Amino acid sequence: MRYVIIGNSAAGIKAAETLRKLDRGGLITIISDEPGPAYSRCLLPAFLAGMRNEDELRIRPENFYQRNLVDTVFGKKAVKVETGRKQVVLADDSRVEYDKLLIATGSSTAFPPVEGLAGPGVLGLRNLADAREILEYRRKARRVVVIGAGFIGMEAAYALYRRGLEVTVVEKMPHILPLQLDRPAAEIIQRDMQAEGVRFILGAGVREVAGPSLWTRLFGKTGRGVILDNGDRLKAEIVIVATGIKPNVDLVRDTEIKLNWGIVVDQYMQTAVPDVYAAGDVAETEDIITGIVCVSPIWPNAVTQGAIAACNMAGRPRLYTGLIGMQNAVEFRDVPAIAMGITQPPDGSYEVLALHRPERNLYRKLVLKDDVIVGMILVGDIGQAGVIAALMRKKANARKFKERILKGEFHHGYLQRAVS
Amino acid sequence: MKEIMVHLDRCNGCLTCSLACAAAHSSSGTIVGAMLEGIPGRIFVQAAGSRPVPILCRHCEDAPCVDACMTGAMQKDPGTGLVSNEGREQTCVGCWMCIMACPYGAIIQKPGEKKLALKCDGCPGREIPACVAACPNNALVYEEADAFSEERRRKAASTLV
Repeated sequence: MRYVIIGNSAAGIKAAETLRKLDRGGLITIISDEPGPAYSRCLLPAFLAGMRNEDELRIRPENFYQRNLVDTVFGKKAVKVETGRKQVVLADDSRVEYDKLLIATGSSTAFPPVEGLAGPGVLGLRNLADAREILEYRRKARRVVVIGAGFIGMEAAYALYRRGLEVTVVEKMPHILPLQLDRPAAEIIQRDMQAEGVRFILGAGVREVAGPSLWTRLFGKTGRGVILDNGDRLKAEIVIVATGIKPNVDLVRDTEIKLNWGIVVDQYMQTAVPDVYAAGDVAETEDIITGIVCVSPIWPNAVTQGAIAACNMAGRPRLYTGLIGMQNAVEFRDVPAIAMGITQPPDGSYEVLALHRPERNLYRKLVLKDDVIVGMILVGDIGQAGVIAALMRKKANARKFKERILKGEFHHGYLQRAVS
Repeated sequence: MKEIMVHLDRCNGCLTCSLACAAAHSSSGTIVGAMLEGIPGRIFVQAAGSRPVPILCRHCEDAPCVDACMTGAMQKDPGTGLVSNEGREQTCVGCWMCIMACPYGAIIQKPGEKKLALKCDGCPGREIPACVAACPNNALVYEEADAFSEERRRKAASTLV
């Protein structure tokens, strides 16, 4: 059996590992456009901040590929999947044949339609090459503007702040981390970072990124201007764009593989074409809380999807039973936070319980529907987050526990005592 | 493969397991030393109503903390079956994804400056884990998962996960 995996990150590596466990004799090939071994994209901010070097970003030991007998085709981009001939076409026109294919190509920075984003010094932060380039620019930079206060933007901002740069974060929405947090939670995190010296401009869109004028270039300056909606002009030598991502689906366009925004898969992670599977940021799966089918670009879900796809590829049917699409843990400076599920209910049909102690950097919020927890935010004290998450996944009735959970007094012991 | 089993009915909440765990993971190896060093136990005796419940890592087969770990530090050793984020080339960065993933609440943040997730490491190098050896009530036992405990684990697992 020839297994081919396109993508060498969370989903791809877990799939290769799982395939090798289930099929000792199968041929496994990983194709990646990046030249080196698998690393953690989540650690790129730590690399930017100078807290980890490149070797320390690797998610597996160096001999991982040899030990698992995985062939590698690195530094070559897969540009097309020919489902009829069961071949993957690479950028140099060479072809790789497969019996079972996993598409785990991930996602890349989606640059918004703002003028001037194509210029030098305007970068996303999605892969090691991006991070290296940012560090190149850093040598001559004093000021950074980060567009977008989502996770990547906030991580990049704090990392470059730690490198001694002046950082300004511009966010269109009225608070930071708008997809994950509500306002009280966001304000605690923002205050923590502001105290350190990061500057925020909220509720402001970016109209244009202007290059250095002829006059400034004459004086050897490279700074760019970030022009906001209201006409304000920020100056920066580095502009980081972190307003969103897009799944890397170009290689399956105009094939039988069904595309929505990401690749559509069934409950076995199989695409519309038999023997072709998809996992990770590129695959659309159903969120167990909201029922919405969408890409879920977070590390744990990519790994789990990679494992499930691999089981099915190896002929051991395993259903994708649904994960929580939105779940994130952060700690930028000193205050940890975990957010999961529906944190900002869209209408009044939800029960919201909240405990807010901003003076102690503490906030807890539970969102319930018919006594089932569908969302939570924990700021400051994140203990037991996984126990609450399990209640959410199981859609357990939390009537007896909800007050205790809110107060931070809940733990797994209550569930054990309930059965013993 | 031996595992740490809990007889809930025998636990009287004396906390000896937690203290012994802290001592075993301190540089001094003593309970007092662990307290001075600020080393926490990795087994937690919680009160559920009026009853004590020891909470510890189950070293899951398909461990959610392993899938959640974005550095590759958290792995299940195929030989020993132990799940740990220590002792590998890949190191923990303290991103707390494992805390978000663990359905038992068995992982904590290490106190102190350096961000590190802390969990039961199964006491490698010891014949019997420190918590089990210290338990005066035989509430913690170290044995093969026999049919009885298998049944109990299934019962416990069906309430969660």
